[in-house]
Amino acid sequence: MVRAIKGVLVECDPSIKAIILDIDSKTHDIIVENLDESHLIIKDNKVAELKRILEERLNEHTKVDSLEEEEEEEDD
Amino acid sequence: MNSQAMKSFEHLEGLSEAIFKRLYQQPATALAVFRRMLPNLAKTFVMAMLFNPDPVPVSSLEAFVRPDQNRLKEEAFGKLRQLYIVTERQGTFALDATFKVELRKALTGGGSPGSFGLPCDTEDKNRVDISFLDRYAAEQWESILHFMVGNETQSSQRPSEGVVRLLLHGKLMEQNRASGTVITQLGFSFLLQEVNSQVWTLLLLYLDMAEQLRMDPVDILHFLFLLGSLELGQDYDMKSLTPTQKGMLEDLRDYGIVYQRKSSSRRFYPTRLATGLTSEIRSLRSPAATLANATPGNDENGFLIIETNYHSPLQIAVLNLFARLISRFPNLVTARITRESIRQAIGKGITAEQIIDYMTANAHPQLRKNSPVLPPTVVDQIRLWQIEGERMKVTSGYLFKEFATNAEFNAVCKYADDIGVLVWIDKNKGMLFVSKHEQIADYIRKRAQSNR
Amino acid sequence: MDKVDGTEHYNFKAPADLATLQVIILDTNPLAWATFEKSSSLSFPAALSQLLIFANAHLAFSQSNRCAVIANHIDGVHFLSPADPGTDHRDPGEADLTPEDLKEIANQNASKYRVFRLLEDEVRASYRRLIKNTTPEAVMACPNSSYLAGALSAALTYINRICFGGTGGRSSGVPGDEKSKVNSAGGKVDETGRTMHAKILVVSVTPDPANQYIPVMNSIFAAQRLKVPIDVCKLRDSTVFLQQAADATGGVYMEPEHPQGLIQYLMMGFLPDHLARQSLILPTKVDVDFRAACFCHKKVLDIGFVCSVCLSIFCEPPQGAVCSTCQVKLDVTSLENIGKPVVLPPKKKKKKKAIDSLPESGVASAAESPVPTE
Repeated sequence: MVRAIKGVLVECDPSIKAIILDIDSKTHDIIVENLDESHLIIKDNKVAELKRILEERLNEHTKVDSLEEEEEEEDD
Repeated sequence: MNSQAMKSFEHLEGLSEAIFKRLYQQPATALAVFRRMLPNLAKTFVMAMLFNPDPVPVSSLEAFVRPDQNRLKEEAFGKLRQLYIVTERQGTFALDATFKVELRKALTGGGSPGSFGLPCDTEDKNRVDISFLDRYAAEQWESILHFMVGNETQSSQRPSEGVVRLLLHGKLMEQNRASGTVITQLGFSFLLQEVNSQVWTLLLLYLDMAEQLRMDPVDILHFLFLLGSLELGQDYDMKSLTPTQKGMLEDLRDYGIVYQRKSSSRRFYPTRLATGLTSEIRSLRSPAATLANATPGNDENGFLIIETNYHSPLQIAVLNLFARLISRFPNLVTARITRESIRQAIGKGITAEQIIDYMTANAHPQLRKNSPVLPPTVVDQIRLWQIEGERMKVTSGYLFKEFATNAEFNAVCKYADDIGVLVWIDKNKGMLFVSKHEQIADYIRKRAQSNR
Repeated sequence: MDKVDGTEHYNFKAPADLATLQVIILDTNPLAWATFEKSSSLSFPAALSQLLIFANAHLAFSQSNRCAVIANHIDGVHFLSPADPGTDHRDPGEADLTPEDLKEIANQNASKYRVFRLLEDEVRASYRRLIKNTTPEAVMACPNSSYLAGALSAALTYINRICFGGTGGRSSGVPGDEKSKVNSAGGKVDETGRTMHAKILVVSVTPDPANQYIPVMNSIFAAQRLKVPIDVCKLRDSTVFLQQAADATGGVYMEPEHPQGLIQYLMMGFLPDHLARQSLILPTKVDVDFRAACFCHKKVLDIGFVCSVCLSIFCEPPQGAVCSTCQVKLDVTSLENIGKPVVLPPKKKKKKKAIDSLPESGVASAAESPVPTE
């Protein structure tokens, strides 16, 4: 019999997906179904939380962004 | 379409069946819903059924459409069902009885007197002309926008308390202890909309607030749709309005949607903001004509030189949302669009499409001669800047899996694609993800029954 | 703070489509309508009312849609709407109205959408003016006359002005050509420089005006070039020209079996616009009568003679064996046997119907005529 599962489809790069999997590995309450290397289904009510954590993680690693902009300021 | 989080016209689609049935009791509303809310093919179906006394078999409507246009057909059927315009019974489609009668009245002119506004039968001693109404509408509307960006000049007075309450209610502005009322992110994207969408956004907020005040939403919508069908420059009599609608006039006057010389006056004039309510054409060019004379720079950032004919503080404030102002002359402002300025705007919840639309809509006639209006390099770059920070795309919906047979899986996939809800599919695992599930569930049930 | 989420940014807009101009060409020959009414019980006023509802339905589709109505009258072509500027706009019926009537009219006006009302009032007033200026003698003198060619030309020139800025669809690629880009409805233009789509509906109760064959065909080809479909609602007498008009321009041809239900035919078959037609299968006539009319006596022919040079069609060899169109001297010696029992197989070619296609039969005779006779 066909099953229908409510959820939110997330489409992202494999690298981002790896981070999401890592976040989930601590609590196991985000991911509903792991579809393929760039798709997964997560719980409805966890979207905002996931986005917040993901952004924090990304910011930890990407200080490059702000550096670039500072350089740009200088050549004006 | 409109991607902002605030209420747009499409929001009306979510009204309940009971409200729609009552909305259709007025020919002006039936006509406005027909024109403004239906896709082209759905309009064609409605007209084909309008003068047919009997319900039409679904099969004959399906035979009317080319087989390769299933998606459009399903979109049309879906919208007609969603707005409760058709009812489906035993394999036939019938137009909602009220909708049918009232739309016929609109086309044949058989409605009761005043169903498209009651023109005054006496001469107005203080008659106003169309250019006066245009000026009045622009002044009122711009005073609201000026207030939002926080520059209240002498020329524009502070909008009324009602307007301020509405802006706060809609979270377009918020109370801030330090600096009083300040604009929010939602407010910024509101500023970038074209005028007609802005008007609808405010009116829907009004509707929302009115419901809390126990005003009848149907009464309000009837009046808004009626305003959309009135004649610019004609004065109308208030006596055919309901008490709720008479009460609305005062608020609408504050927005510049109608003009009344005095609040005790029994006649009112609709402005262009009103008569454009049910049309798809731009009513007034957004706030005033701006000019953007763009030249694609050699710099990979791309340059945009922006001039304003009126150097109104409002336009400059809006430009400041996504461009860095460099210098300001009496009739010219130069600003630079940089990665940083665009990223900042996007951080405030403004989308690249909104920025591009705003620049296109306000381009100077000189620039309008180009096709496309904006240099493609600039447009592409703005879009690229937007997506560089985006790492994921989310779609809420339903995952279907564990199909009994391959044939069933394939049939459901095809159907989902036809009605335009298919988001993701994996043939090997036999799973698919759809954005809406009601119709799919129906389809699976019907299929199961017919196979039994 | 949805910085990492790009969902909203992926929704791009579909390009907006252009509005449509509907031109209705209506036969107003009173005698032809009277005859038709006897056989069908559909009177002219009833038909006009239903056509106006059709026009309203067209205008209801979009605020930027436009409509024009042209009368194909016994003595020429008249625009019913938009009325000619400079003409007397008074409604001749108005003088006879009592104050009560006027009040009644004002009441009715208040119950009608202004766009619909303006069109209706204009069409009805222009029509009354037109009939007032038509004498019974003039009607009796030409019971079946119509100015189809004139009406089609008037419609096409109007379309050219409104939809192409008077450029005939040629100005598309010219840079800096203001006219082709400016448009009342917000400046939208498609790649051919057209600012609006257009379609023509011919409502006809008169027979083919055979003497207008050439101009009618020219109008059809012009419409084809501008991609303007000519829809035909033929209420009485099947017609060859209009079948070809609909066929060549991709329009719809219908001969309603139940003319009293005209409105349903109009709403179902003729209303769909350019966009809807791309996804619909519309009812139309499949087997089209391709017969042509001869240039000499304007008769509709099954079989005829074709000039080997310019492809003009004749019902009999032209006088003096000179083509009346291009003045070329034709060799008619091989035509001697026409009408006699055919013995030689090659001569059979000449009997080929002119209906398949004009150039082909032209080739047939062209191949024959220069050949020296045995």
